[in-house]
Parts: sequence; C-alpha cells; structure tokens
Amino acid sequence: MIRLPSVPMVLRQLFKKPATNFFPAKNLPPSITGFLEAVSEGKASINPPVPTPDKYRGKIVYDRDSCIGCKICIRVCPANAIEFIPDTKRVRIWVTQCIFCAQCNDVCPKGSLHMSSDFLLATEDRFNENLIVE
Amino acid sequence: MRLSPSFNRSLWVFHVNSGSCNGCDIEIVATLCPRYDPERFGIKLVGSPRHADVLLVTGPVTRQMRDRVKRVYEQMAAPKVVMCVGACGQSGGVFYESYNLDGPIDQVIPVDVYVPGCAPRPEAIIYGVVQAIAKLERLEKEVKS
Repeated sequence: MIRLPSVPMVLRQLFKKPATNFFPAKNLPPSITGFLEAVSEGKASINPPVPTPDKYRGKIVYDRDSCIGCKICIRVCPANAIEFIPDTKRVRIWVTQCIFCAQCNDVCPKGSLHMSSDFLLATEDRFNENLIVE
Repeated sequence: MRLSPSFNRSLWVFHVNSGSCNGCDIEIVATLCPRYDPERFGIKLVGSPRHADVLLVTGPVTRQMRDRVKRVYEQMAAPKVVMCVGACGQSGGVFYESYNLDGPIDQVIPVDVYVPGCAPRPEAIIYGVVQAIAKLERLEKEVKS
C-alpha cells in the first residue's frame, strides 16, 4: 500500500491560521487617516505587533530627578546622542542619534536611564518632541 | 500634483543603500518576509527607481554615494516619497562627524518620513509606511481643497 504522509499535513495546513502578524490592520483600509482617527476614537483597533522579547532595548526613559549630572553617560555614548545642559546640570537625549546600545544604562551610577519597549517612533519631523528625551 | 487611485492603493518601493552597515537592509528584507507580509498592502520592492513610488534610503550618505542617491531620486517619477530608515540617515548615528560623510540624508534629498532605530524593528518600518500614506492623503486633500 502506498503511504501518503503528506495527506495529514495538507489537511492540518488547511485549517491552520497563517503565520503572518497582521500589524497594523489585516488589509489596507480605504483611508489611512480615517482609520487612525477611528483608532483614536476607539471605534477600530490596531492589531498588536509581535511582542518584544524581555530586556528589549527600545526608546530611552530618563528619570530627571535622580540624575546627578555626572556626565559618565556622555563619555560612554558611542553615537554622541547625549547632550549636557550646564544650566540645569541635566542631560538631553536625541533619540534620532541614539543607537539603542544601553551602555549608558549600565554605566549610570544612579540608575536614572532605562530602556522602554516603545519602538514605533516613525515621524515626519526628526526634531519632534517625541524624539527628544529630557 | 494629482495622485492616481493606483498610487493610493499600492506603494512600490526602491531601496538604496547609501553607505549603511547592512543592519537596516536586513530588517527591510525581514519586513518583506511572510511573517509581516507587507504585500497585503501592495508594498513590494522593485528593481528600478523608474517603477517606484517610495525611495527607501538606509545609511548616512557617503561622499561616493551622494551623486548616486541624487540621481536615483531624480529618476523617480513624481509624486514620490522618501523614507529614511535607521539612525545613521537621520543624524549620522555612530558615523557622526566622519571624514567621508556628506551629511545626513536630508542634506542631500528631501525626506518625508523618518524611522528611528538601529536597526528598526520590521513593525517600526511598517508604521513608517503608514505615516507615509497618511502624509500622502493629507497632501491630496490640500491639493483638492
């Protein structure tokens, strides 16, 4: 008798969901602007992206109050993304320059810098408020 | 500038590496894989800038690539969108103040959407495309009114 090992596989594949992650919507909506408005009003929902792994290095988070202005993060930053502001003795981080290496997180003596899991950062203006962390 | 319905529905992408480290290029290839499947939005890579609606530029612009990037940009038919993927193209990234750079991409060609990240996740690139389509729709509305 001929063995057909592929038949159960084909049957299983027929009823399986596709591996595709439908971010942000399954199909292109008729109007993206309308879709984004509906999302902000709560009428539609964005399919969530693939979950980020543990310790994912996303956009940097800066705790201004615990910072002591020691400038070690500035010295260690390979992309020169951190700027010192002498008036307030605090730093300003340019996310467009940041390469998300988290060396400043490791070196900070007060633990003022953290990496969040926020990575949807695309904008039309690279000097956007969202991309400057103070 | 009047956008045709076909331009609205499916964006064809031409990818230029202007001196990138290849990290962003790998993420762009990952974006085009079945896991994310942007072809359900009609987005696909094409082999010639003359067929493309979107120019996807990765990397800081090196002196050797400056004229090539400009030429590719001018070969594309209007209306066109330029997307800058990765930290280097926006500010120089780790290559800042390097002797062989001709500045970030926006000093060479006008950029519409920036996608920060080193390298950005595939979803971040898709989100950038969403921003680009939103910008096109806004421009179209301004032209009509």
